[in-house]
Amino acid sequence: MSNPGPASPVVLSLRGVSKAFGAVQALRDVSVDCRAGEIHALVGENGSGKSTLLGIASGFLAPDEGVIEIGSRKRRRTSPAETRTLGLGIAYQTYSHVLDLSVAENLYLAAPPALQPKYGQMEEWAAARLAEFDLDISTSARAGSLSLAQRQLFEVVKALLARPKVLLLDEPTTALGPEDVEHLHSLVLAHRRAGVGIVYVSHRLPEVLEISDRISVLRDGVCQGTFEAASMTEEELVTLMIGRPLELAFPERPDLAEHRDVLLAVAGLQGDRFGPIDLEVARGEILGIAGAEGNGQVQFLRALAGAERATGTAICDGNALDSRSPVGPLRAGVVLLSGDRAAESLFPVLSVRANSTVQILRRLGSVGLLNRRRERRTVDDLVRRLRIRAASIEQPVQTLSGGNQQKVSLTRPFLRGDVKVILAEEPTQGVDVAARFDIYDALRAKVREGVSVIVKSSDPLELAGLCDRVVVMSRGRIVDEIHGDDLGERRIVEAIVGSRAPTDPGSGPREAAA
Amino acid sequence: MSLSRRLHGGLALMLMATLIVAVGAYAGVRQDAFLTSFNLNNLLLMTMPLALVSLGQTTALLVGGFDVSVAALMTFCVVVASYTITPETSGLALVPGIFAIVGVGLAAGILNATLIRVLRVPSIIATLATYSIFQGASLLLRDHPEGTINSDVTSGLAKSVGFVPLAFAGVVVLAVLADVWLYRSRTGLRLRAVGLDDTSSRRLGMSTGRIVFVAFVVCSVMASLAGFYLAVEVQIGSPIIGNYGLESIAAAVLGGASLAGGRGSFVGTLLAALFLSLIDNVLPLFQQPTEYAEMTIGVLILLALVLYQAPELVARFRTNWGGVGRLRAREGDASA
Repeated sequence: MSNPGPASPVVLSLRGVSKAFGAVQALRDVSVDCRAGEIHALVGENGSGKSTLLGIASGFLAPDEGVIEIGSRKRRRTSPAETRTLGLGIAYQTYSHVLDLSVAENLYLAAPPALQPKYGQMEEWAAARLAEFDLDISTSARAGSLSLAQRQLFEVVKALLARPKVLLLDEPTTALGPEDVEHLHSLVLAHRRAGVGIVYVSHRLPEVLEISDRISVLRDGVCQGTFEAASMTEEELVTLMIGRPLELAFPERPDLAEHRDVLLAVAGLQGDRFGPIDLEVARGEILGIAGAEGNGQVQFLRALAGAERATGTAICDGNALDSRSPVGPLRAGVVLLSGDRAAESLFPVLSVRANSTVQILRRLGSVGLLNRRRERRTVDDLVRRLRIRAASIEQPVQTLSGGNQQKVSLTRPFLRGDVKVILAEEPTQGVDVAARFDIYDALRAKVREGVSVIVKSSDPLELAGLCDRVVVMSRGRIVDEIHGDDLGERRIVEAIVGSRAPTDPGSGPREAAA
Repeated sequence: MSLSRRLHGGLALMLMATLIVAVGAYAGVRQDAFLTSFNLNNLLLMTMPLALVSLGQTTALLVGGFDVSVAALMTFCVVVASYTITPETSGLALVPGIFAIVGVGLAAGILNATLIRVLRVPSIIATLATYSIFQGASLLLRDHPEGTINSDVTSGLAKSVGFVPLAFAGVVVLAVLADVWLYRSRTGLRLRAVGLDDTSSRRLGMSTGRIVFVAFVVCSVMASLAGFYLAVEVQIGSPIIGNYGLESIAAAVLGGASLAGGRGSFVGTLLAALFLSLIDNVLPLFQQPTEYAEMTIGVLILLALVLYQAPELVARFRTNWGGVGRLRAREGDASA
């Protein structure tokens, strides 16, 4: 990688940027800059503040504190329209397409007024622009009908439309296959040669090290420093990204018996965003699913729970799972703990008691009426066991802390006697440390009763401590499996960032569909 | 433009045009009184208030909102007219009175838009609240119908060429121009983009707040014009008028507007308003009680919504069910 050298002018500079969302401090006094003709990578774990920083640079988010400087114009507050005219282009991770409009219309809206042709010449103009960037999609297609890879490349083309001096790319390769990644990288390198400053956000460290000149590391919203890419290794980056020395006491793992029976067997399961996936989960096992966000982990769990469409088979305890709707899996004892607690798991205005017992009311009733005393006794007992901190079991769930809310959603599989598999999506997201370990203990306790748990988590430390075995998903498939003494936080992070080719062929990529 | 979207827009226009012709032809054949110049002229004049307010409602729907306050605003304008357009005033002295009514619409629009955009109150709640406020204000000014409205203005607004009132011809031109603007211009595209996806629109550098604000102001101003037209028709300061809030939404939806925003047609809305008035006009000719009109309209709205969604439902069916089917257990595997 040639270094543009310190002589190149700075095209983007963020100084002392802080931003909070409610009680969460997303960024704390972050300063980074990008020079003309360099690729400046921004790395960090999920939720470390990368996207927030780009959103602030583009004017989409307003910083609480700090200054944005594009070219040599200083701004405390700006807007997407202004940063675009100042010469900034951005490709958002979650895109900026209006899905119900055509490709041509989307391209037209992305162009600054000075570059927009007459409305009537939009189609020809759009076709010419797409040809210029070598993107083979129809101008009249609805943006929503594009594949995810096409949407991602189209987003980059939109960012390049106004010939920016500084280009921000937020995870531009998550939906791309190797060929498309190469196409994108050659496009990015061509712009670097032309003197464009590029900020490149990615969790794929090999990509980052290959393409970038300098690398800044974010952790929990704080910049850990900016480094010359040539002087860094993946190991050093991973250490900076995790940065936590803490090794808290996870519940003890029981000795794994050699031949335990398979409780859940998945074969050739394939959905819109994942698959084909083959997977077996033993009775009494906690299986972790790791991977960078958006690689199909959530969709896979939801498909198992009947909340997402998929083809293939899943067998639970000897019976085929009917996943056409959530009813089949629920009856078979497969319970999903959604990561979107407020929207999908809980009734926020109802009490702890009502939320816990909503699925087992029949059992608590007699002659069609609810036996309140029996209900209260049941819930009281559980609140003690899970250490739910509420003023009373009549307290509305929405007034509890995040950790206690999560515990309340956990009460349901505990109260149901017939649960076989718990699918937990981010079980400790937004949960404070103490509550976190209560949840781990509770899951372990449930497993001892012969239940199996699949945990999808973006926290490698959690997966390493809690799980008996971890599989890593990338682009919708299982690409790695980690178990035994190998199972550690660093090993998981390395697998996620792709720095380690799967060594064991038996646990490697299972590309062939059954 | 994809097939389903073309169909969505065209379907509404075709359905409304067909229904108008069908009902008109039936009434024309069965009742001599229908196809008279007098009746048709009357029909178009009666359509005017609904047409105006529905065009305004369409702009609110296009940005993904509702305005249920329009009926009360129209009432308030009728009441205001009974003070500002009195029989004693004449000629140019009427102009400030008419401006006062439009001014009321402008002020009401700014109030609604501020509540919705600045204070972030959902539009349906905000306009329900202002509905009550406007209605209360009307009753405060006139607790029963009184105050005659100048009849010179009435004859002026009813001026017709053949059976077509000039004002109606003006509204037709307005609707056509508005549709051309909506689907053939930069700013029209922006309005649709904001209605379809607020976040992406903001990322693309549009000032979505300003666009929504203007849309709600336009809606109220159109409602005040509708109120003005209604005032010169009823000719008295009545605090009780028709159910224009729901009817305007019905007209916009029958005309092809989507409740989710971003889609709609002003010409479609105009045709639907004409159709709704046509039903009101025809039923008395057949000695049918007008209660049937309301029920007919309700049933038609349901049918129309299902029909308009059909192309999208078919498209969704093809993409989602065809490519990726449901999780199916194959026979034999279960025993493994």
